Amino acid sequence: MFWAPSRTAILILKLSPLILPFVVLFCGGVFLTVCQSLGIFTPLPHTGGILAAYGVILSDPSFLGSFGFSLGVALVSAAASVAAGTFLAYRVWQLPKALAGAALVYKIPLILPHIAVAFVVLIFWSRSGILSSLAWHLGLIQSMPDFPNVLYSGWGLGMILAYTLKGTPFAMLLILALLVRFDVRQIQTAAMLGASKRRIFFSIVLPRLAPAMHTSFIILFLYSFGAFDIPYILSESRPGMLSLNVYNLYFKHDLARRPEAMAILTLMLFFAVVFIIAYSRTVTRLENGVRKL
Amino acid sequence: MTLRWNMTFLLLMLVIPFFHPFTLPARASGDILPDTPFEQILEQARGTQVQWYMYGGWTHVNTWVDTFVAKEMKQRYDIHVKRVPMDAGVFINKLLNEKAAGKTTGTIDLLWINGENFKNAKETGLLFGPFAGHLPHVRQYVNPDSITHDFGFPVDGFEAPFGRAQFVFEYDTDRTDTVPDTVAALKQWIMDNPGQFTYPQPPDFTGSAFIRHIFYAVTGGHGQYMAGWDPDLYEKNAPLLWDWLNQIKPFLWQKGRTYPRDSAFLDTLFARGEVAFSMSYHPPHAQNMIMEGSYPDTVRTFALKDGAIFNTHFTAIAFNAPNKAGAMVLADFLMSVDAQVSKFQPENWGDFPVLDLNRLSASDRQRFETVDLGPATLTPDQLAAVAVPEIPAQYLEALEQDWKTHVLGP
Repeated sequence: MFWAPSRTAILILKLSPLILPFVVLFCGGVFLTVCQSLGIFTPLPHTGGILAAYGVILSDPSFLGSFGFSLGVALVSAAASVAAGTFLAYRVWQLPKALAGAALVYKIPLILPHIAVAFVVLIFWSRSGILSSLAWHLGLIQSMPDFPNVLYSGWGLGMILAYTLKGTPFAMLLILALLVRFDVRQIQTAAMLGASKRRIFFSIVLPRLAPAMHTSFIILFLYSFGAFDIPYILSESRPGMLSLNVYNLYFKHDLARRPEAMAILTLMLFFAVVFIIAYSRTVTRLENGVRKL
Repeated sequence: MTLRWNMTFLLLMLVIPFFHPFTLPARASGDILPDTPFEQILEQARGTQVQWYMYGGWTHVNTWVDTFVAKEMKQRYDIHVKRVPMDAGVFINKLLNEKAAGKTTGTIDLLWINGENFKNAKETGLLFGPFAGHLPHVRQYVNPDSITHDFGFPVDGFEAPFGRAQFVFEYDTDRTDTVPDTVAALKQWIMDNPGQFTYPQPPDFTGSAFIRHIFYAVTGGHGQYMAGWDPDLYEKNAPLLWDWLNQIKPFLWQKGRTYPRDSAFLDTLFARGEVAFSMSYHPPHAQNMIMEGSYPDTVRTFALKDGAIFNTHFTAIAFNAPNKAGAMVLADFLMSVDAQVSKFQPENWGDFPVLDLNRLSASDRQRFETVDLGPATLTPDQLAAVAVPEIPAQYLEALEQDWKTHVLGP
């Protein structure tokens, strides 16, 4: 034995089925990524300084463009998912018992893989897609180019649609889990005291749901910020999503550029950590403020 | 703090094998030497299995390998061919990881590899060889001058030739009457027909080849680049290409705000009638698409007089291939007249032969000459008339990178 089995050691030993894969696979991978971004352990001998790859990335205006774009797509889709998910979950919760079973239909997009949802969006919204032909048959548009340019508009609308389609039921799932433990009598009391439906929702229900909303927002935001499958189908060229840039750098360019791909990944991870910390701090501060009132 | 120290130690022990250095000797000779007499290699390969890692995106090519190649290899040499579909970029990474982990016996025997990845793979010591010069069919049928370089990078026998491809444009005679025949006429056509043209976004293989054509045409031909990478020449000439591409940009599909991600996407746009031209690095591509029912019968191909880039594609053997002998036999079989004729037939694949027809017997030559390529494919003579070689890989990398800055924009 390396050390006398203290309580911590036993605890770690018991947690080892969780810790071991985490340390070996995740930490190992992160460690290797960071090393390669610094030019250590790269497939080709690295020329230039230890921060050369970061220099290249950060001085490339297209990186900043992609970063902002990824950020925008992730923020809008996560916010839309949480908003829609909260509203729908609340309505589902209010449904009469007889309809509760049928409402489970909301879980279908959860089962579909992201790539399938991307194709659904593509089939419906492309200029030669289902909605476009429908509009044409109804006489709403005269020719294909008249159909609004949703998918490749430069705003990432296709990706936002797909992420929202996937994210809404996920947010609903988390929020419904809180709602089932919610005491209806609070609402009844408020209603008896004359609170409007609006007031009830914003002052009583929403604060209760806030933890689930924050959690789902963070998860959805970070997922769409870094995910690859939906951008692979629906991304636009300019500015592209970061994940696609990494994919191109990693697989389609010279091996000498591997550190750049790794530098982007490292920056993305760094951003994700900073985001989580900043977000939770802000939320805590806001909630403290609310309680003081 | 022994605990913390021990945990760090444990972590390092677990993680270190991942980084087992890339400084091992570049070439692992394995169980067989490349220059073993071929009879002995045949003997050793009999009754074994060969894992062939290759691009898996073309159904007809997959079918050809799984039926014709697998059957012939079994009959002739009692070798079982197992095709593993994987993109070149992915299996290069797999090999890199195996090499980093010090794995001397891998899973990949033969690779169908492209020029950019070949350069990477050879530089990082992922390939076994030189072996190509020892293959009887290569020695007998191939003009050695035609296979010295792959994208400007010396082959040195680390790859065996496999086939030839050339860049063509595709159009539908029902929709387009006259097609532009020069780069200048193409530009005029694009400006006269806004929204009807686009090209896949580099670093897609086809889109990248398209911009190289323009690069050749607007900078005075390919000859100047053949000597290898010259940064000054590149700096001087590249702006001409960006000018050209930026001039057509407002007239492209989606006004050049976005580009198709790859050639399959462009094919779809073309098939749906959103654009008037598609393009391919495979001369029989249009014919294949017609046979598959994806394109109408009226689709034809054309090449520009300014030149149509061709390249030879190759197979290579992994440094840690468990069955190097079998891989060499397969690489050799692929260069036989039977395999090359079968591959040339458009219903099988349509890939152009890499054999020097002058080295064949009259009857073998006849077999190639009588292959019916279908109405949509240009004849080898038409293609040969405009053939220009590929650019060295460093130019390619620079063009793909700078396209993003100068044409796509931030």
